[in-house]
Amino acid sequence: MVREMRAIRKCLMKEEIVVYPFSAIVGQQDMKDALLANIIYPSIGGVLIRGEKGTAKSTTVRAAADLLPERKVMKGCIFRCDISDPRNLCESCREKIATGEKPVLEYSRMRVVELPLCATEDRVAGTLDIEHAITRGVKKFEPGVLAMANGNILYVDEVNLLDDHIVDLLLDAAAMGVNFVEREGISYAHPARFLLVGTMNPEEGDLRPQLLDRFGLVVDVEGEKDNRERSEIVKRRLEFERDPVAFCTSFQVEQQAVRDQIIRAKQIIAELRPDDLLINTAVRISLSLGVDGHRSDITLVKAALAFAALDGRKEVNSTDVLKAAGLSLPHRMRRRPFEESTMDITSVRGIIESCYQVS
Amino acid sequence: MIHQFPFTGITGQEHAKKALLCALVCDDIRNILILGNPGTAKSTLVRSVESLTNEKKVITIPQNVTYDRLLGMIDLEKAITSGSIQVHHGILKEGNNQILYADDINLMDEGVIQCILSASETGQYLLEREGLSHIISTRFTFIASMDPSEGELSSGQLERFDLCIRTDLITDFEMRSEIVKKALYYEISPDTFIFECEKETETLKRSILKAKERFPYVSIPDGHADLISSLCVELGVEGYRGDIAVARTAKALAALDQRDEVMFDDIKLAALLALEHRRGECKERLPHPPKSGNEETPEQDFEKNSSKEQKNPDAIPEYQQGEKEQKNREQNHIPTPHQERYFDIGSPFEVIRYLDENTWQVTLKQKSGRRSRVISSDSSGHYRSFRFPGRCRNDIAIDATIRAAAPYQRIRSRNGLAISVKKSDIREKVREKKIGHTILFLVDASGSMGVQKRMIAVKGAILSLLKDAYQKRDRVGLMIFRGDSADLLLPPTQSPDIAAKLLKKIPTGGKTPLAKGITEGYLLLTRGKFAAPRENKSIVLLTDGRGNVPLTEKTTREELGDVARKIAGKGVRFIVVDTECGFPRLGRALVLARDLDGSYFRLEDLSIHGLAGCVNDVLYSDR
Repeated sequence: MVREMRAIRKCLMKEEIVVYPFSAIVGQQDMKDALLANIIYPSIGGVLIRGEKGTAKSTTVRAAADLLPERKVMKGCIFRCDISDPRNLCESCREKIATGEKPVLEYSRMRVVELPLCATEDRVAGTLDIEHAITRGVKKFEPGVLAMANGNILYVDEVNLLDDHIVDLLLDAAAMGVNFVEREGISYAHPARFLLVGTMNPEEGDLRPQLLDRFGLVVDVEGEKDNRERSEIVKRRLEFERDPVAFCTSFQVEQQAVRDQIIRAKQIIAELRPDDLLINTAVRISLSLGVDGHRSDITLVKAALAFAALDGRKEVNSTDVLKAAGLSLPHRMRRRPFEESTMDITSVRGIIESCYQVS
Repeated sequence: MIHQFPFTGITGQEHAKKALLCALVCDDIRNILILGNPGTAKSTLVRSVESLTNEKKVITIPQNVTYDRLLGMIDLEKAITSGSIQVHHGILKEGNNQILYADDINLMDEGVIQCILSASETGQYLLEREGLSHIISTRFTFIASMDPSEGELSSGQLERFDLCIRTDLITDFEMRSEIVKKALYYEISPDTFIFECEKETETLKRSILKAKERFPYVSIPDGHADLISSLCVELGVEGYRGDIAVARTAKALAALDQRDEVMFDDIKLAALLALEHRRGECKERLPHPPKSGNEETPEQDFEKNSSKEQKNPDAIPEYQQGEKEQKNREQNHIPTPHQERYFDIGSPFEVIRYLDENTWQVTLKQKSGRRSRVISSDSSGHYRSFRFPGRCRNDIAIDATIRAAAPYQRIRSRNGLAISVKKSDIREKVREKKIGHTILFLVDASGSMGVQKRMIAVKGAILSLLKDAYQKRDRVGLMIFRGDSADLLLPPTQSPDIAAKLLKKIPTGGKTPLAKGITEGYLLLTRGKFAAPRENKSIVLLTDGRGNVPLTEKTTREELGDVARKIAGKGVRFIVVDTECGFPRLGRALVLARDLDGSYFRLEDLSIHGLAGCVNDVLYSDR
């Protein structure tokens, strides 16, 4: 406890901002679960949080930074290549392994890399290293935000307001997991597998359907309607503002519980394999809703697995599937711009129940 | 990056697969376009092609590629060390004998698309940059993919693609679950998955090689060759690219099937792959066949009559038509203007470039959108090219500057640095930004719009305009006027989606407070929140011009003229869409458009294909 206190005070000394603890966020269960599911199973493909202003969207995302697990990465690699995923190594790491050099590993915590709205293209994709070019006359690639985001969470606040050409960059990288740079005399490709997390207020404009489709899950948050919960939110916030350090310390036990939950769920998910029942249910739901691509089916299966793992179970039950369906399908319903469609959750529930009763 | 999802592991999408195979067999099938909704394995398919050939690689052209990397540039290191000027080749040359792939081609810079397409077609391109002048020859297969709901390619660009395939929507239960299973399996243990597909891949590889050898000897029987040309004529294909593409593809298909002679089925499939995107419009313009069936409800009777008028406006003398209209009105109890009705939305169409870009005063500091491209004044936007610095600016194009300085390095003293840059070497970045517009749709929702179900067509037109606005990322608002008020249904937002939803809820009925509507719309865009002075603002006014609610004592027409002349040319552009139809035409909207100094379109003129067909559709449909 004392050590924690000291650590947090140290943060304050360095003028770092103390983030509001994740476990102290009241309600918004869907948003929290969606984030946790992505953290333990990144290939779900990120989460978009839509909601009015002041519904703790960004707070929750930033708070998640404190919970992120550690992973083994190649030491000294700027892209933090994960050795356990040999398909997605950067060039230099691959060379190292090819030459038979024994990889030196280090532990690195996953972190939240923020992409500001005003970022320029060269900083996002990476560009020519100016210093290197001038002092040595040799072209060298200077990595950008997408490089930093490899293996981490890439967080875009107000993602619907992002400039079009930056969105194009994100789309490219998110689609392939690789950032290809062919500009300013530089030709470079590096792994850019990131967990895309976006928040937005839908009143300020829509997201392009292409980008929308890249988000695995979408959560629509609403302000708490319950009086007691609302007052609890205000109370905690005020307490936090009065003394952030003390507040964080008082939530230390809960925070640790969430961290443990993540570690446990990660172990479970590594073993968990989808069964035919789950896959068939997912396909049946997508077909009945008329969703066109296949990303929805795949995401639904993955999300259901993740929810089961978060709950400490090795079997997926109908509640997991329903929850996964609610988060992975609605934003993929729309086929063309302007075509109205709402998801009929009762029919989805019907399908899930009929599938799971048979078993 | 090391290995890809195997081609043979992909379920379904037979047409797309065939097209890609044809390109592997016949090197002269150069450009392939794959259309499809998100998540239908477009890019997976293209990248998997690599698993089918030993010598070809799939090289990705990223969205934001710059010309120096695309075409080539001066070889920096050679220039510095030896002072010799040589070309460092770009992707187009690196792609020689390879496959180039561009995802989301509809979002790419038009100049870039043009460069790639013409290089692939002619097998060479001219490099005239930075003191280099070369003709570079290169031969590659270009594959592009896109989601058409994000915007279309121009028909000129489309036509240059040899084959164009749309990915299928798979609705078969078994296939879909197979896809999910395979995808998850591949993710968990890619090596085993690839190994399991290995056998099939090898067989396919061998058959491609055989087909390649056979291809030159495949012949097309004369009768079938005639069939190809008559198909093209029938489908209204312009130019001969279509014919050639069909013939090549049919030959490749026959070779793949280990035959020396093209069969009818080959041509059928080849036409499907090569002609779909080249089809002319002639088919769609043919008049609808008259409806059969005997029950004649008054509603249908009305539709029939009105549609006859639409179909043959010249066949019946005008006076008769007028009479007929009169009769129609009596027969069908057209609601009095005070009744409120809600009409459906007519079918949408593709919109002409009604906001003509040339006449727009294109200003800087815009909201980003896609309608027009401007050179941005600050350092935001996409780095497109470079130029000699003009004003004092701090946005130096480092790469271009260094390249400019490189050839002189042997003779300059460098002070221990690798490069010495002089002022004359400095180049600055030219950044390009796409800008959108703020468009307010001002809709006349008075009773007169209910006549002849005109509102259906109007709503269809608005939907089309909204779609256009969406693709170009404009901000749109929606305001209606009727009775004696003008209501803002949607303040300008970047979400045409909401506007489309509101469309259904536009009531029709009441008088026409036209002058008030125009004034309110104008005020909205010139005062307060939406009044940013440098933005392009326009009002699309959909009306028949028959205002009948005066604001003052003057007559409505005089007043309307006064109001219109007063606001004309004051920062807001007007586009008047005349919704008047039938006879007699009063042409008031035209006068209004003149007074407003705006452009004038008849509703029918908005569609690329001539709206006539669409309106006919609307009138004929069972609504």
